Amino acid sequence: MSRVSVIRTLVRRELGESLRSRWFIAYSAVFLLGALALTFFGLSGSDIYGYRGFAKVMAGLVHLALLFVPLMALFPATAAVAGEREMGSLEYLVSQPISFGELFWGKWIGVSLAVALSLLIGFGFAGAVATLNGTPWRPVALLLALTLLLAETFVAVGLFCSVIATTRARATGAGIVVWIVAVGFGTLAIMGATLRWGLPRLVLSAWALGNPVEAFRLGVIASLDPDGSLLGPVGLAWMTSLGASGVIALCFASLLLWTLVPTAFAWWRFRRPQAWSAL
Amino acid sequence: MIKANGLSKRFASRSVLDDLDFEIERGQRLALLGLNGAGKTTLLRCVMGVLSFDGSIEVDGADVASSGKAVRGRIGYVPQRPPVFHMSLSAMVEFFSTLRGIPAETIAEQLDAFGLPLAETGGLALRELSGGMMQKALLAVALASNPQVLLMDEPTANLDPRARSEFMRALRQVSPETTLMLASHRLDEVEMIADRIWILHEGRIVFDGGLGDLRARAGADAWLWVRTRREDRDAARDKFLSLAEPEAVMANGTHVAVKLPAAGRAEALWRLKESNLAIDDFWVVEPQLEEIVQRFFGEGEI
Repeated sequence: MSRVSVIRTLVRRELGESLRSRWFIAYSAVFLLGALALTFFGLSGSDIYGYRGFAKVMAGLVHLALLFVPLMALFPATAAVAGEREMGSLEYLVSQPISFGELFWGKWIGVSLAVALSLLIGFGFAGAVATLNGTPWRPVALLLALTLLLAETFVAVGLFCSVIATTRARATGAGIVVWIVAVGFGTLAIMGATLRWGLPRLVLSAWALGNPVEAFRLGVIASLDPDGSLLGPVGLAWMTSLGASGVIALCFASLLLWTLVPTAFAWWRFRRPQAWSAL
Repeated sequence: MIKANGLSKRFASRSVLDDLDFEIERGQRLALLGLNGAGKTTLLRCVMGVLSFDGSIEVDGADVASSGKAVRGRIGYVPQRPPVFHMSLSAMVEFFSTLRGIPAETIAEQLDAFGLPLAETGGLALRELSGGMMQKALLAVALASNPQVLLMDEPTANLDPRARSEFMRALRQVSPETTLMLASHRLDEVEMIADRIWILHEGRIVFDGGLGDLRARAGADAWLWVRTRREDRDAARDKFLSLAEPEAVMANGTHVAVKLPAAGRAEALWRLKESNLAIDDFWVVEPQLEEIVQRFFGEGEI
């Protein structure tokens, strides 16, 4: 049996498992409805506000994405290994004539596809509505690309938690802690630290780019606000020195790194033969 | 067929398998017995190459550590706990036929032979199958690729008596060419299946041999029962009391029994004959395997 057909079979199963998950369906449905509602109501004033009306929609979509996308990614990703370990199906799968690599990448691709599919439906509809109403397609496409990468980041984080945790509950808990730190504590901490200590620009930049949620937010705002007025002093300095494209590229790089590093660690742990077992 | 040299496995500071050397011939039926935590499951997992280990294991000449995937292609596996898959039996057949690189029809035929025809059961979700049906389905998946080795880790541990007997019946269809390793706490199954027994204790093989060897090694005596005339019963009992301790002699109606090693049974019969006591019938009741194995471990749970 060729490696490709084995991986394809594993991907298909993982995709089906993810798409059947009630949590995943619920989050995807709420996300789709939220994206459509924001787009529809936000654009209703666009004939008066023009591009600024669309910027409002994008800001709303960013907040929606920050709230839902990490959770949509975390639930199937944390179940992928820890959940299967609990159900005994992981032990049975590794006893088959497949390699640990085929199993791991089958899971990675399957969960990623499920999350991407859900996002494409949610943002796809919203984006189609927006572009049909005269919104430029480039920022919409950029928002979609950054959102997909943000989702991939949390798939990687979730998969890492899933590989190292002994139970699905612990894996999900660990993933949610990462999300809370990134979404809530990360932003609050950066604001608090700036007010308290007046952190140097380099530290602030590293802090912002070191947080995938911040990197996502900065990337989207940079695409909407080419003069950098909404980004604060650090963002403004970035825009001046790197330009909007440079800032966006930096944000992409940060998200990519946040995807690659947890994926690499997850793979490193999973490929050690006993990592699959609950021992 | 399966050969190991210096096989050791540790989990943190605990040694689970300790420097094992063994060889299992093609077609041999090996039962693994031992207390909980003796290393039975770990040994099976090492043979499949799903746990790392020190030393070497070869399955039909293939090195398990470096060719785990190829080795698993030659092995069928039935776990203790049926895995939970959210799919129908038909989908399971398709899925595992792809993973094992065999036509789906082969698994379907095997299911048919086990009384689970896909035409009737294919639409059932796996969670709707009983424990016995699920274990038979897993056995069908394992046997469909005609594996050289079949590994079973307490496959009937969670089955009711009826499902267990159905599973054991299905197991009779395993080819005599297939090497079998069965980890079990069910000693009746071991007696039924195995021609070689290992007792694992603290990661080492403390016994390796056949059932007869095990009985002899454990010094397990058998009960010799004799049926005689009612008027001869007490005399027969007295003869037996001259051969064994009082707690090793029983009398009941026309039956008298004495617990003796194999070597003493002929003499016991001869003593009765010598005294002109009529013997209508006699038979030997061997000790249960459970009793024999417990002698290795005192009264600990097997």
